[in-house]
Amino acid sequence: MPMGGTVGTQVEIAITGESIEGAGELLFTHPGLAAVRKLDANGQPEANKYVVKIAADTPGGIHEARLMTRLGISSSRVFSVGTLSEVVQATPNLTLATAMELKVNSICNGVMSVKSIDHYTFDAQKGHRYVLNCDSRGIDSKLDAVLIIADAGGRDLVVERRGKPLDFTATNDGKHFLKIHDITFKGGPAYFYRLSLQELPSEAPLPTFAATKTVSSFSWPPDGLAENSLSSETESNNLPAHAQKISLPCDISGSFYPAADVDTFEFTGTKGEVWWVEVASERFGRPTDPTVLIQHVSVDGPKEQLTDVAEFSDIASPMKPSTNGYAYDGPPYDGGSLDIIGKLVINDDGLHRLQLSDLFGGTRNDARNVYRLIIRKAAPDFALAGWGLHMELRNGDRNALSKPLALRGGITVALEVVAVRRDGFDGVIELVMKGLPDGVTAQGLKIPAGKTRGIMLVTADDKAPKSLSYVAFFGRSIVNGVEVERPVQMAAMAWPIVDSWGEIPSPRLVTGLPISVTGAEFAPISIAAKEKKVWEVTAGQKITIPLQHTRRSEFSGTVLQLKTSGAGFEQVPRFDVSLASDSSEVTLDLAALKTPPGDYLIAFYGSAVAKYQSSQEPSAKEKSVPKDTADIVVSEPIAIRVKPAEAK
Amino acid sequence: MDCLEPLACLRFGSQALAFAISAVFSLTAFTCDSAQGQENSEPVSFVNDVVPLLTKAGCNSGVCHAKAGNGQNGFRLSLLGFEPGEDFESIVKDSRGRRLSLAEPESSLLLRKASAKLPHGGGVRFQEPSAEYSTLVNWIRQGASNDYETASQLVSVEVQPNHASVNPGSQQQLKVIARYSDQPQRDVTSTALFESNDNAMAHVTPGGLVKMMDLPGKVAVMVRYQSKVSVFNASVPLGAEIRELPPSLNFVDDSVFANLKVLGIPPSPICDDATFLRRVSLDIAGRVPTDEERTAFFASQDANKREQAIDGLLRSSEYADFFANKWTAMLKNRRDDASDITSNFVFHAWVRDSLLANKPYDQMVRELLAATGTVIANPPVVWYKRVKEPKQQVEDVAQLFLGVRMQCAQCHHHPFERWSQDDYYSFSAFFTQVGRKPTATRGEDMIFHKRGTAAATNIKSGHVLKPAALGDAIPAIASDEDPRLKLADWMSSPSNPFFAKAIVNRYWKHFFRRGLVEPEDDIRDTNPPSNPELLGALEHHFIASGFDLKSLVKVITSSNAYQLSAEPNQYNIADSQNYSRYYPRRLQAEVFLDAIDDLTSSRTEFPNLPSGTRAIALPDNSYNNGSPFLKVFGRPENESVCECERVQSSSLAQSLHLINAKDIKSKLATSNGRADRLAKSDKSSEEKIRELYSVAFSREPRADELNAGIDFLAEPRVDAAGNPIDPQKANQEIFQDLIWALINTKEFLFNH
Repeated sequence: MPMGGTVGTQVEIAITGESIEGAGELLFTHPGLAAVRKLDANGQPEANKYVVKIAADTPGGIHEARLMTRLGISSSRVFSVGTLSEVVQATPNLTLATAMELKVNSICNGVMSVKSIDHYTFDAQKGHRYVLNCDSRGIDSKLDAVLIIADAGGRDLVVERRGKPLDFTATNDGKHFLKIHDITFKGGPAYFYRLSLQELPSEAPLPTFAATKTVSSFSWPPDGLAENSLSSETESNNLPAHAQKISLPCDISGSFYPAADVDTFEFTGTKGEVWWVEVASERFGRPTDPTVLIQHVSVDGPKEQLTDVAEFSDIASPMKPSTNGYAYDGPPYDGGSLDIIGKLVINDDGLHRLQLSDLFGGTRNDARNVYRLIIRKAAPDFALAGWGLHMELRNGDRNALSKPLALRGGITVALEVVAVRRDGFDGVIELVMKGLPDGVTAQGLKIPAGKTRGIMLVTADDKAPKSLSYVAFFGRSIVNGVEVERPVQMAAMAWPIVDSWGEIPSPRLVTGLPISVTGAEFAPISIAAKEKKVWEVTAGQKITIPLQHTRRSEFSGTVLQLKTSGAGFEQVPRFDVSLASDSSEVTLDLAALKTPPGDYLIAFYGSAVAKYQSSQEPSAKEKSVPKDTADIVVSEPIAIRVKPAEAK
Repeated sequence: MDCLEPLACLRFGSQALAFAISAVFSLTAFTCDSAQGQENSEPVSFVNDVVPLLTKAGCNSGVCHAKAGNGQNGFRLSLLGFEPGEDFESIVKDSRGRRLSLAEPESSLLLRKASAKLPHGGGVRFQEPSAEYSTLVNWIRQGASNDYETASQLVSVEVQPNHASVNPGSQQQLKVIARYSDQPQRDVTSTALFESNDNAMAHVTPGGLVKMMDLPGKVAVMVRYQSKVSVFNASVPLGAEIRELPPSLNFVDDSVFANLKVLGIPPSPICDDATFLRRVSLDIAGRVPTDEERTAFFASQDANKREQAIDGLLRSSEYADFFANKWTAMLKNRRDDASDITSNFVFHAWVRDSLLANKPYDQMVRELLAATGTVIANPPVVWYKRVKEPKQQVEDVAQLFLGVRMQCAQCHHHPFERWSQDDYYSFSAFFTQVGRKPTATRGEDMIFHKRGTAAATNIKSGHVLKPAALGDAIPAIASDEDPRLKLADWMSSPSNPFFAKAIVNRYWKHFFRRGLVEPEDDIRDTNPPSNPELLGALEHHFIASGFDLKSLVKVITSSNAYQLSAEPNQYNIADSQNYSRYYPRRLQAEVFLDAIDDLTSSRTEFPNLPSGTRAIALPDNSYNNGSPFLKVFGRPENESVCECERVQSSSLAQSLHLINAKDIKSKLATSNGRADRLAKSDKSSEEKIRELYSVAFSREPRADELNAGIDFLAEPRVDAAGNPIDPQKANQEIFQDLIWALINTKEFLFNH
């Protein structure tokens, strides 16, 4: 707090969080932001306080901050930068009588209390236009803000509850109240907000307010796409008679406006042509669901004959996301989108009509619901997103394990990586990390041809020193004979979710991938093949791999059930290993698996409840009562070569 | 809901059906001598002669052989003979044809049962001999033929006279004429069914003799013959001389006072300012007037100060809160799971904000009907979370927004209306292209228009039906057009015969306790309004205003008709439908709780809501569980589209609650509450009494009340042993008792 500042100034901030005792550096994703510890009157650093310098050339918008702590790098928090002056909510302002004055063209950083309404006042001038906005969800807050402007008597005049800015032209001079609360009156430290009040000329467009990106947006834009489209739709083009003539390829921007808008385009197609249609709107963060219908138009006397050629809606999720039910049934990240990527095959020569509309737009009038329509020849490609592997934990425990990559010695962490394949691309995608800290290795269980999911394993040696690196994480493949690399955009929870039954997770994309090694703590158990080698087996035969357990903790329970990850071996039956033993073995039956000859990389994973003992100087109480922590245990990657069976 | 099950139909106050069933039961076996007995030589029509007899005798009523399932003891007839083809099969062919004996018609099981020669649960339905019995015998003797395909088609039914002015206590015989496509008209009085829409005003015999009671007003008798209905409208004048009427301020007054003049019912005088302010505040904003409002209103010398008070209330956020409370109950905003909280809050807020912004009603309904998207981005989609099935959707929309109860037509032709099953399924076809996609929140879907041809299948005929509005054709809807938008277009058309009428009638009832059509959501030809001119004028005004709800409220409340005193005069005490006086109403649960909070200066705390939230602003039904007060005073559980789910009747539990409940006691004893404050105040006793009357009743105390109050405050207090108690404690008790007494007065309990 505050969660942002004005360019060209410096701002004192206080941080809160779990396990941040003795925190060190505060790191930002933009070099224009730099933080130093705040010193007290004696020149000693004050706990959890920093002074952030915001260089004058720092771009406005949102940036991300992370903290280096004893346990390694922290999760990310948004830090906003802008040109308006900033204040911090001072005393409680829960009533009209205690309303806090908010100057026009300023921002207040506040925190919502439970079952409360924060009150502000400002002096309005009749006929002047004011825009009130509350950044909350877009800056990792849990607050679903409701904005109200009330008259001098506190009577509500206008209300906005859908996360939009409130655009208000005053009908009276004088004092007005601003009220803000959560949509279900929740509150607490995670319900912070930045409330801005700006005066704008009556004709000025609404300013854009930066926000974090949804996970689905990782597949946008296609590589090499120009920032701006080449042309725009021309209203009114709702009816076929007013269809906008276009030629392919095309790149058109438009909006689903007004309500029930249907944008109609016509082009001439030639039999046998293949085009790819892509629409982005939901991936811009808009609450839209585009749909495209393409019909062939033939004329039979005075009547048109329409034949459906293609209908597109939604980019399929690369893997089934969680339904947030009691049992784990998929990751809480959805890489799919309500946008469109689809293949268009022209079956007949002649006129074709394309209708683009918003399935959610029947009654809504919001010109900000923009889209971009691209029709192109096939440009095979892929986009990647990654997150920490989730799995079923004990007794329906739904702890979200999207933790920062703060590695303990001896640990192997699995990242789940998904791909959206574009324009028919179906090649193998290798997963690669570069710039890892010392003592850390990464091996990717590649995304097989035509598949959309892979695993990346990051292992810290138990002797790896304390360190931090921003690593490059990308996928590599051959497209049209050329090697291409595409970044893996990491996703994480906006805040930790203890129980997704009670609270729906809120994932988003994060900037960059810092990996740290704590150097102070160790994984409760490490599992690896007894020998680091390529294990060879003949197709159709069995192989037994001895496993070595390096145990560093007590556990609740004695058995660890393991599943197998890695193409060709996903169907290995679950097997148990003893948490009380230093070794075990696993037998892989290639006959049952029907794994064809080739080189494979696999890993075993499961969950265990460890008795966690902090490495920090413990108090007597902490030492006597270790804390149960549910951990995902992943083995080091194991290389297997399946040799062809000898011909009989 | 299946209308063949009487309990289900009665659940939410389907008065008309309840009456119909009772009417059928009251029929006695045929003994009449005026019926058209068929001679042997004249061919008997199964469709036009036999089936009407079975209907008149009650054989095919919902509680007898037309009972849902398998009829009665395996013998099943269609309800009220709406499906003669099926009835023929059932009578002649089912059970291996054992119900008829062509060789010896009198021995037919059908006749032996109906005449109770064999044990029959329904008793004697046809006396032997009687003309009706003979008709059945002749039909069998003539070969029991089916003329379903060839019988003359019934075109219309006319009741004669169709309207009349009938004095209280007198009678009117009705005659029913049936007209056919290719045969002469027939007098079918003896086989027609008659039904009064208000048995307290008029009773009608099975033979069509209407007997007026003593109540003045308008009453209608529905006449049904086969699938056709007709109505006799009676005006029952009181006939008192009307020397003076209040001045007419608008068209509402024109219609109300003209009607009173015709009926000869002198209205009560205009109420005083204090009564008006309290009444209109309770009716518009669901609360008693504030101190500031009372002070400003009574100080004002402006001739238009009542109108200004109405404007002020319509600007208040409590107006939006109060009416959102009304609408969200009917729109079933109920919490079944803790995770519903977000959707319920946003839906309630959407309704409330729409009312606050005075969004045109047609626009509001359009946004609801054709909602798409997610709960947060477009809250009206929550309605599709609550009302999931197309069947529920069509029934709720018809009843709530059109005032038409379509439930019966799902399974059979509507017994009181022109709606057929085809009408039902054609209407439901508008909702067949509602698509759903799952969201991250369990139980919540994204709603979208699913491309395709909208159509619904009549479950009985198997016919696939395209969308059609009630009584209106709709142009063809392309597969990529959302049919719900077309439905919204039809509803908001100025020529729509239901949409505006339904809402103005509903709002009229809100302010006058009784709808112009009653029940307010059962508008049909056979249930005519008590003042059709007024209903038409309100409808016209509402459409002309651009579906402006605030304008509707204003035109109603600024009329002198609304501002009549609740005190009856010697003539209008029995009037309960002509608005010759204000009909007092018990405060509804939420308003009552808020009023007690205001009087006691306490606040009821509600989970998940800020302190100070009024009960009228509660977003859903979940708060009933934690509030015995709201429950006992009838706050609805938001399960029904019918406003009748709210219980407005009084009960012993309510009295006991006011007398002895913990929450009432604790409100009275609230620290720094009104009792506590007045007990400690240096104000004079008179000032304190005046304050209490002002808050409780929005008026000054009369002299006798003031003196009684002052005397009460001066009474010494003693404990059970007769010893004086601590003066400070005594003082607090005195004020708690006084406020408690005020709460228990009818003047406080009622809006009057």
